[in-house]
Amino acid sequence: MSLQRKKSRVLQTTKKIGELIMAYFSQTSDAKAQGKPVAWVTVFTPVELLYAMDVYPIAPEHFGAMCSARGFILDYLQEAEREGYSQNLCSYSRCSLGYVLSGTSGLMPPPDILVTFRNSCDVYVKWWQSLHMHLGTPLFVGETPYVLTSEDLDNYVLDYVVKQLEQLVEMAEEKFGSRLDMEKLADIVRLSDKASELWLETLKLRRFRPCPLGGRDSASDIFPLVVMQGTTEAVEFYEELLEEVKQKVNMGEGVLENERFRLLFDGIWLWHAFDLIKYFEDRGAVFVYEPYSDAWAYRLDASKPLESIARKILAMGLNVDIDIRTERFSESIEEFQIDGAVLFSNRSCKTWSTPQLVTADILNKNFNVPYLLFEADMADPRQYAEAQIKNRIDAFLEVLGER
Amino acid sequence: MKIPIGIRDLCENPTEILNRYEDSGVKVIGFTCSYVPEELIISAGLQPYRITNIGANTSALTPSFVCPFASATLENIIKHEDFFSGFIVAHTCDPMWRLYDILKKKIGKPLFLLRVPHNTDNELSLDFFRMELMRFKKFLEKNFETRIDHSALFSSIELCNESRDLLKSIYVLNSGGEYKINAFDRFHLVLASMWMPKPEINTQIKALNFNNGETYGDVRLHLNGTAIYDLVLLKTIEESGGFAASDDLCTGSRYFWSNVEKSEDPISALSNRYLKRTPCPSHAPLEQRLEYINFMIEEFKVQGVLTFAEGFCDPILYDSVHIRNMLAKKGIPTMVIDYENPAQEIGRIKTRVEAFIESISG
Repeated sequence: MSLQRKKSRVLQTTKKIGELIMAYFSQTSDAKAQGKPVAWVTVFTPVELLYAMDVYPIAPEHFGAMCSARGFILDYLQEAEREGYSQNLCSYSRCSLGYVLSGTSGLMPPPDILVTFRNSCDVYVKWWQSLHMHLGTPLFVGETPYVLTSEDLDNYVLDYVVKQLEQLVEMAEEKFGSRLDMEKLADIVRLSDKASELWLETLKLRRFRPCPLGGRDSASDIFPLVVMQGTTEAVEFYEELLEEVKQKVNMGEGVLENERFRLLFDGIWLWHAFDLIKYFEDRGAVFVYEPYSDAWAYRLDASKPLESIARKILAMGLNVDIDIRTERFSESIEEFQIDGAVLFSNRSCKTWSTPQLVTADILNKNFNVPYLLFEADMADPRQYAEAQIKNRIDAFLEVLGER
Repeated sequence: MKIPIGIRDLCENPTEILNRYEDSGVKVIGFTCSYVPEELIISAGLQPYRITNIGANTSALTPSFVCPFASATLENIIKHEDFFSGFIVAHTCDPMWRLYDILKKKIGKPLFLLRVPHNTDNELSLDFFRMELMRFKKFLEKNFETRIDHSALFSSIELCNESRDLLKSIYVLNSGGEYKINAFDRFHLVLASMWMPKPEINTQIKALNFNNGETYGDVRLHLNGTAIYDLVLLKTIEESGGFAASDDLCTGSRYFWSNVEKSEDPISALSNRYLKRTPCPSHAPLEQRLEYINFMIEEFKVQGVLTFAEGFCDPILYDSVHIRNMLAKKGIPTMVIDYENPAQEIGRIKTRVEAFIESISG
């Protein structure tokens, strides 16, 4: 197999992400220094609501991904393991627990409140309880029940989540003395909706051949939607990104000059082995769709902010019934003209990995999409057998080449 | 006390009773967890049966790093599907939740996911859980062409309360430092109560004499964990000089410790009982669980706490750190024993249990 010519395949806008992340952390630290409250949140938590109350959200999951990508996660993992947290537990959680146990000094300012809604996984509850036990910081645990049918987004399930959002507001008002300004919330919801709209429009452009935005772009560009929903910075970033991607489509430019295979990636990216995406690209394979990238965007209605936010945190990717999830898969296969699927069986993310073999079976039998399933960890580099995985990738691409 | 031979056999081979149900035309509903109110199943004229991991290997449908207990439970459901009329899975931890996803694609029998809110101390969760129980009731009525009326529900609540009272009355014989009934025997009765018709097991328990209990060791232990069906673990403790005086297991005291209160609204009463009981390790608040463990330690004069952790069981692996930290302040030693298949690992488990007990007894 001939390797493709080396050149920058990453978008210019994507290259600005690092700066945006550092500005975000620095802004949160500044806010903390000014006496404003900081919330540590799980990623599908209503950050719009927190911003509207002048509470600054920080996502330890994102911190874990960043520490892993930048190669300084091991100290934190080992600190948590010394305390007794098993290596079999989520590496994001071990990272933030290690951060707390080693003194909570660094990019994440200490929290004034811990907020989680159980949606993408049940580990959130245990992880946030553990942070609460070590830090003694007030804890809010919300429940967003598994969405079994679309009716759940309008019935007693929705009411339950809306009322919990109201409880969160009450708790924040009581603890921090701030009031929820509904007009401000509506503005923030409008911005959050705009960022989602722009991101979804951008992702749709990946249907073009050659694909204008690859896995490295989508993995990085997701960041503003993780913790900056409702900010002007996020909207400006996605406007610029969309403009650049549109230009690439107009010019017929893609990530690869010679696009051989268009792939679906199922899972969280391997932050410590980010170059694995490049390994695929070097062999003519480009990622054109990931449920992970879709999961963060949700259209909101500013005239019904709490209901909208409740629907959003209910309907995030992993919290909807398997039939709804596989329907999204099937639509994407046609829309993005997918040749094969790469499924990452992530030791840290049991909620994602447990039904993955069943999903793979559906992909294969119902849609005739070949798949590669490999096991590793999203953030812990010690659980990654590079040579073995690359061998399997080579074999998989050979199979695709013979079809 | 001598456990009746029928109960001993049942605990060795829990699926044997399914043949009896099939022969007598009894419709059986398999359920996975003690958050599922058996009262509703019984009031629909159906027989509840708790699905276990006994007799099954881990399923090839799940990754190797997922809780082996959940995986083997999945395997048993698929293997024995024909014996059942339907299945109820409760959303407790990630693997159990995802079992529902897999089963939806792999079995043909009616399947219900009971969504158990994780923030059990929230009054809103109580209302939500009540709605879930209403949905559960409708599921049973629709799939099994029956009507569950208040009178049937009141009767089944009374029956299950009697069962819980009996199990608790045996359990508390060990309180205050007594050595009346060993865990091996005690667990036989609890497990049989999850598999046999309640009137039958209740009658058998009433006929037992608890004042001549055979005990092995004298170091009093509390067992922490999720569910234990493999009684060889309990035998190992006792043969190593330990006496498992108390526990917070789903197949132990959490199953029967509190009763459903009398109420004109039985569904609310069920919601209240099941959600307000001591939470599963997968649920919040942790403080309530720690309080329960503390209570057990005081009540049963416990000298050490053994945590049995199924490999990859996230809730227990997080909690064990906090339980250790809490108990260290009280001078109570703890040990975590993790395993994937107790029968295959019993030698290693026994060595660790013996070392723990020796460290306590000096």
